[in-house]
Amino acid sequence: MNITVNGDELEVRSPGLTSLLRVLRDELDVVGPKAGCEAGGCGACTVLVDGAPRRSCLTAVAAIDGAEVTTVEGLGAADDLSPVQQAFVHYYAAQCGFCTPGMVVAATHYLDSGGSDDRKEIQEALRGHVCRCTGYVKIIEAVAAARGGNFDLTTTAEGGYTTVMTGDAK
Amino acid sequence: MAKHTGRGLAAIEYPSGMNQNGDPSQAWIKVKPDGRIDVFSGTSDIGNGAKTIQSQIVAESIGVPYDWVTFDNSNTDSSPVCTGTFASRATVIAGNAVLKAAEEVKTKLLEIASAEMEIGPQDLDIIDGEVQARGAPSLTMDVADVAAAATYGHGQLITGTGAELNAFAAITNSETGEVDSPPHAAISYAACAAEVEVDDETGIVRIVRMVQAYDVGKAINPTLVEGQIEGGAVMGLGLGVLEDSYPYYPSPDHRGSHFGSYFVPGMEDLPQIETIIIENPSATGPYGAKGIGEMANNSQPPAIAAAVHDAVGVWVTELPITPERVLRALDAKAAGGGQPRREGKHIVFDEELSVNSVASGISWTSDS
Repeated sequence: MNITVNGDELEVRSPGLTSLLRVLRDELDVVGPKAGCEAGGCGACTVLVDGAPRRSCLTAVAAIDGAEVTTVEGLGAADDLSPVQQAFVHYYAAQCGFCTPGMVVAATHYLDSGGSDDRKEIQEALRGHVCRCTGYVKIIEAVAAARGGNFDLTTTAEGGYTTVMTGDAK
Repeated sequence: MAKHTGRGLAAIEYPSGMNQNGDPSQAWIKVKPDGRIDVFSGTSDIGNGAKTIQSQIVAESIGVPYDWVTFDNSNTDSSPVCTGTFASRATVIAGNAVLKAAEEVKTKLLEIASAEMEIGPQDLDIIDGEVQARGAPSLTMDVADVAAAATYGHGQLITGTGAELNAFAAITNSETGEVDSPPHAAISYAACAAEVEVDDETGIVRIVRMVQAYDVGKAINPTLVEGQIEGGAVMGLGLGVLEDSYPYYPSPDHRGSHFGSYFVPGMEDLPQIETIIIENPSATGPYGAKGIGEMANNSQPPAIAAAVHDAVGVWVTELPITPERVLRALDAKAAGGGQPRREGKHIVFDEELSVNSVASGISWTSDS
């Protein structure tokens, strides 16, 4: 079997029923997709297969022989981030970061398919992805901002908080 | 059969770190010959922003740009001891350790700069990576040049160490409970107001809106604080209405073991969330900061319970407030059993006294 991962055509030697997630992580050492629940419930393993988002933990590698796979590594590099990756950094959309690869891949597909910056539509598109840390607020903000693409990368995002001062610091 | 809306409010308090429980955090800092700062601290970053916060404290305290600071805790052997990232202690306890280390580094940098510039160290300060003479801002020396002079001219390695420890307390008076070390002065306060919609036919509670007000002492990084409060709010929503590890019949073997049976809040559960950050400085935290890591999800469940009572007139006294529990409570109410409101504690809160005591420092003597 052969699959193309982030532009590189690779031969797969794992048994055909091995999950794409395990092939990527254990055989090919592509560790962006995370092994969360490995039961299709958390979304952390999401990759693009021929451009469509798939749970790699539920995808037998034999079923996608010859396909093109894009993981979060294929979307951008540390010194050349994609717009969605830039927005996630800018809006502090990651805390522990475990859900981030799946979120970024799914959000990229959502926006590339013409998704809007409407909060309800983003929630609907990404609802299969579980995040334990952020409460989703900054993830939604980041995806909406990536749609508009107009944010200044040299400063952090303006928080929507109200600060009340009482007393003086020591 | 209808949907009812209700609002509830809950207020909480929480300490930063372990109180009188012997939990050290240590840090050491060295200055490279080009003036860049290496921070070694044992405090791991679990997504709470500990690396960012401690790097900010070091940069601010020494007086150099944030991007001059490298934070390294990648190796257990080379990292100083830290009890851990828990108990809302990283910013306050570990932050104080790096603050002390940074102050020592600044003192040593100014000693070298003093010898080079022939100006007394008390007349020098470091601003944005540059040593400046007080009152004569044109007399400057780049921190990189100071570090190079220390390395190649004075034969010195500029380092600083710092540690923070709330020592173990020994109870000295069995009648009054007074102990021989001071209590925490970094107590955070918070409140949540929740708006819910309760369906009295299905028992489903939907959270419509949550407003969180958290006293963080000093928001060293406001966006990170906001992220912690937002994340805590949704965890609190989960505790309030969704997440239950032990209701599964007939034995613990049947508890939820995957996302189909253990309900973590998803994007579709997200209510309207508003965050209010209050800066009421602590006497002991770095720059007046307090820790809010754990309390971030403590105010929402009781606020939701109060909102459910406001909506349908029943107190659900077990969490999470599942449809089954709501319907059982409504049935009990309809059968006339009712649920008398429990008498809560009555607490007198003197705002002026609280602000004054917290903001001005607490005096303490071991024999008081």
